Amino acid sequence: MKRYLSNKWAIALFIAPALILFVGFVFIPIVQVFYYSLFDWDGVNKATFLGLDNYVKLFGTSAFKVANLNGLKFGLLITVYQIFFATLFALAVTDKRVPFRKFFRTAYFIPVVLSVTIVCQLWVSIFDADHGLLNTLMDRLGIEWRQNWLNGRYSAIWAVAFVNAWQWMGYQFALIVAGMKSIPQDFYEAAELDGCTTVQTHWYMTLPLLKDTYNFCLLVSVTGGIKAFTEIQIITRGGPGTATNTLAYIMYRQAFVTHKYGYGLSAAAILVLECLVVILILNWLFRDREAVKVPKKGRVMA
Amino acid sequence: MKKFLSLILVLALALAVMVPAMAEEKVTLKIYAQYADDDTMVPYDYAKEKLAEAYPNVELELIVQAQDDGATLLGLAAAHNLPDIYQTGAGIMPTLRGSNQMMVLNDVAEKTGFADKVFESAKNFLYADDGNIYAFPYAGNEYVLWYINKAVFADAGVEVPTTYEELLNAIEVFKNKDIVPLALFGQEGWITAAMFDVIATRYNAGGIKALDNGSASIKDEAYVNAAQTLYDLTKAGLFQTGVTSTNYDQASELFLSGKAAMFLNGQWYIEDATKALGDDVCWIAYPAPTAEEFEASKHAFSGSGSVAGYAVNPDSPNAELAAEVAAFISEKYCEAKITLRNNPLVAVNTGLTNDTLPPMMQDLVAEIPEMTSTTAFTWGLTNQVFTEAIGTWTQALVSGEYTVEEVIDEIAAAME
Amino acid sequence: MNKKKELRPIERRHRGPGAVIFSVLLWLYAVISLYPLIWMIFYSFKSNEEIFVKNPFGPPISWQLSNYVNAWTKYDVPLYFKNSVIVGVATVALTIVCAAMFTFAVARLRWRARESARTFIALGMFIPVQAIMVPLVKTVSNLHLMNTYLSLILPYAAINLAFACMVYYGFFKTIPTEMEEAACMDGATIYQTFFHVMVPLVAPATITILIYVFLSAWNEFILANVLVGTTANLKTLPLGVLFFQGQFTTDWGSMGATMVIASLPAVLIYCLFSEQVERAMTVSGAVKG
Repeated sequence: MKRYLSNKWAIALFIAPALILFVGFVFIPIVQVFYYSLFDWDGVNKATFLGLDNYVKLFGTSAFKVANLNGLKFGLLITVYQIFFATLFALAVTDKRVPFRKFFRTAYFIPVVLSVTIVCQLWVSIFDADHGLLNTLMDRLGIEWRQNWLNGRYSAIWAVAFVNAWQWMGYQFALIVAGMKSIPQDFYEAAELDGCTTVQTHWYMTLPLLKDTYNFCLLVSVTGGIKAFTEIQIITRGGPGTATNTLAYIMYRQAFVTHKYGYGLSAAAILVLECLVVILILNWLFRDREAVKVPKKGRVMA
Repeated sequence: MKKFLSLILVLALALAVMVPAMAEEKVTLKIYAQYADDDTMVPYDYAKEKLAEAYPNVELELIVQAQDDGATLLGLAAAHNLPDIYQTGAGIMPTLRGSNQMMVLNDVAEKTGFADKVFESAKNFLYADDGNIYAFPYAGNEYVLWYINKAVFADAGVEVPTTYEELLNAIEVFKNKDIVPLALFGQEGWITAAMFDVIATRYNAGGIKALDNGSASIKDEAYVNAAQTLYDLTKAGLFQTGVTSTNYDQASELFLSGKAAMFLNGQWYIEDATKALGDDVCWIAYPAPTAEEFEASKHAFSGSGSVAGYAVNPDSPNAELAAEVAAFISEKYCEAKITLRNNPLVAVNTGLTNDTLPPMMQDLVAEIPEMTSTTAFTWGLTNQVFTEAIGTWTQALVSGEYTVEEVIDEIAAAME
Repeated sequence: MNKKKELRPIERRHRGPGAVIFSVLLWLYAVISLYPLIWMIFYSFKSNEEIFVKNPFGPPISWQLSNYVNAWTKYDVPLYFKNSVIVGVATVALTIVCAAMFTFAVARLRWRARESARTFIALGMFIPVQAIMVPLVKTVSNLHLMNTYLSLILPYAAINLAFACMVYYGFFKTIPTEMEEAACMDGATIYQTFFHVMVPLVAPATITILIYVFLSAWNEFILANVLVGTTANLKTLPLGVLFFQGQFTTDWGSMGATMVIASLPAVLIYCLFSEQVERAMTVSGAVKG
């Protein structure tokens, strides 16, 4: 059996296509990101070696500090929002007692299919300070909380993060549903026979079984926050001032507007390193602690 | 007999090969150009039409320019895959020149007589700092104009402001009537920089241009005062709420629908503004701190043209022809702008005139000889780091969320 | 099958106020999720004035059919559509094949470097596309692939590999090891085990990946613009919006119309296929245990 599973030729054959593709089109460019971040480069011409100067300069800017904080805020909001709602709705949609399940399943995923530009336009209208839906709604309900959502120095990032959270919730939702679908029906019956309520069943059985799925979802949402770019580019252009800057946005402006591509890449390099830290932390948090994992023998729950 | 027949055969074959070669070959030139709104589509279509007459064997394959801060052009340059002819701006020129992807056009400019036809006032948009020609310009000088809606003013009983004092009063009145005093598309850094500039030029005529070329510093009193003024005006409510996430069309609609009393934009807006508001719209001299300063500085304008236009890829298989075509197209753009877009502010003297210019343009044309100084739009600045900084931090200023000190310090820090 | 009947008594017991609130929440959120579709359609029929000032949220006061005429005539929509389909399908196929094989080896076969290989591929999730744009374009250019379909398909697949592998990993991990043992004892080669046993078992993952990678390729703009933007007959749908974005002003209504034309097929296909998706997911669930 061991030989069957350690067949070197088979292993090589299986991993080769993916590796070649990945190394050629992603890994080498990433290496180049780190490499050129040490140079003064405009993207096209000769590069001048600068050592770590780009990084020193980057760390000294106020925008860098703001960007890191924004990455965390963004990641926090979308993680909490998406994981919470995705779980809730996934549980609903996989529960046979809920009517119109198929409709909900499609509905919650629709925002993911829409173009991000349209979604941003919609939320800009909703968040508009003078005539937006949100402020108007609050006025009608008598709530005294009109905000300048998109222009506040500290509120803007939350508003923009919300747009992303809202649009991509469907994506986490689909992942969790797929995960739940592969939990055998027998488990639920066993739990029922044991007299568990719905909440207990899900809390003690369903969620732990989806550990790997959640590891992945959390990774996607947290790194998604650190990598945030598109919504910021469309809605606030990093503004007001640098209030909604993120590392990816800094990289973009430096690379294409000031033509200091090398300097921009230093921001990108920091971004990659931060994401690496996140994946390491998450893998450690989700490591297999107890002997009780997914029962390999089928029905019996430990 | 055989020899005779074989001779005929050889001759026939030779003719068969030569005749098609003697006929004109169709050459396809890829051209990277703006093509999305009337301002860019009308000149292009006109140029294409005229090109078909003058160069019948040339086909243009249009590649529409993306509004992505030049990212696409940079990517193409990195892959050495630039189109034959491409529109370029001042910002990316150093990069392209450095990698020899901009053809030196001096000879072609001579040959086609383009160089001679360029207006004196536009000569510095033609020649780069090393005296060479890298692009054929078509846009002439451009200016930042302060537009007002006379009907809205009359309705509210407000006089046209000439000092900041009067402007503040006007703001009060407009706010009470639920009218936006000045609509600004603060999402874009260039207009917030222009807003800063129209104030700064009251204190120092060099405006942001002086900051760009280093002849003035952001910490000079003139600029600190300007920043303070802009801050005060913002806090008084000069702009619509949500100014920093308002886009161009949104702000424009506010003005054209009468919901805003004033608007800041370039002179290219005259056409659309006149179409929507007719006689109700006009532009005014920028307000100043006091009445005397207003009189003294009312001919100091913000904005100017820039080194930009159609450039040619020297590695193109038809470089020479492409260069000639580029020169031709630029010239036709100028013709189209004058005759079809009511915009006489072009780089090339085409010999054409337009007698039916809208009133605002006539006023502008009359004003131009009186102008004492101009500055620049952000895309005409030479220091890219400064361009980025001034755009970002003037936006910060009009949001009202940053203090004047912070803004000044940040700009100064970026310039180090 | 008779198990369903046992559930009913419990169902009645649990229908308290909590369930009602929950129901309301489900419906409310569904409305919020679907409203943008309607909003987008309204938007595509409005003029700039209505979009920004007069009527941002309601149905159009005056229906601008010209937006759709513009959207359809400004560029060759069917051509761009065809290109998007070709690129999308090819990217999905390539990604799924490479990722399934790779993850199978990492999750089920035994070799020393497999954990490192897994983290290695995961790197692909962390990189914003703008950062690698220039190096990537240079690579494509050096391989003489510029202005071909492959110039898009290969990078897209490579970028989506990380995501696909991570999703597959979770699924492969939950399959009991007995599966390989049984297949081995039945005399299947490792390749046959992979194709006939493993692949069907991870169908839910495959479906999920398929949907996501297809969407990602369908909506991708940045790389498409640089890689095929200069070759008119290879352009994909997202590039169509360029025709409406001017240097200053944008024809938002027509742009909206273009986006409706671009995304409606994706929405329709998703709605139609969600039946199949549902079935595929439950079938493989039943195979378990």
